[in-house]
Amino acid sequence: MATELDYDRSLHDKEHEAGPFEVTESQIQAFSRGIAETNPIYTDPAAAKAQGFRAIVAPPTFCTIMVRQVSLSDINLKFNGAPMGGGMHAGQRVQSRAPIMAGDALTASSHLKDVYAKTGRSGTMVFIVWETTFRNQDGTVVADVQESFVRRG
Amino acid sequence: MPYFEDVELGDEIGPLETEATDDGVLEFCQVWDNRGPSRFTDQAMAEESRLPGPIVPGIMSMGIMARLLTDWAGTEALKDLDIVFRQPVPHHKPLTIAATVTDTRQEDGENLVECDILMTGADGERYVGGKAIVALPSKP
Repeated sequence: MATELDYDRSLHDKEHEAGPFEVTESQIQAFSRGIAETNPIYTDPAAAKAQGFRAIVAPPTFCTIMVRQVSLSDINLKFNGAPMGGGMHAGQRVQSRAPIMAGDALTASSHLKDVYAKTGRSGTMVFIVWETTFRNQDGTVVADVQESFVRRG
Repeated sequence: MPYFEDVELGDEIGPLETEATDDGVLEFCQVWDNRGPSRFTDQAMAEESRLPGPIVPGIMSMGIMARLLTDWAGTEALKDLDIVFRQPVPHHKPLTIAATVTDTRQEDGENLVECDILMTGADGERYVGGKAIVALPSKP
């Protein structure tokens, strides 16, 4: 039987804008402590300045926490006519384009990148991939983040 | 910091040995406004999600994995980290992060090193795996 994947395809072409998100020194410091980061450029303004940065630098995957503050649309996923519920975080990709520093204000632009099904021993799984581009206050792209979720049929 | 010319296919990066503590996870969750009890911080909530205990947020595991590469090559060197969450990562268990170089190439004026990266547990659990691209300087 052919499987049928139905969802709101218009979301591919819809950019969802969010922000600005202020990047604070204390956020970067707490993120760095959480991942047990010891490099002082992530925690100490003097150390960051000594290496040529304006302020403390965010570790390269920092904006993954900002993605969590972007509320994404329900894609109304149906598989063979039945709604698919649940959804687990399946994967994440961060492409760093420029440093993020304390004092930056980031805006997020998100769209639905891909929806595809895979069938294996445990049944069919549907992957939903969102892509978010982050820009800083100067309009510079600082990162592209992809987040994928999996739902089981 | 390593130079591009010194890196060869099959080279190992790391390992980085670490673990995620309850306090570390709690602080990390507070940064992304996940302040209430959750499967990341609370035993009962974890059990509701059919987990034996609280787990490490995926994006925190990702941050820990990125550390291996930024420790090796510097914060601006990491260009791309693309990972798949294979198994829930528990708190207070030894975690080993290591990478293997799978390709070296020059592209658009950059010296790129591609590697496979893996976070494993003490009993061989393969928690998180993926690929990374790091840009390295040439020898002066």
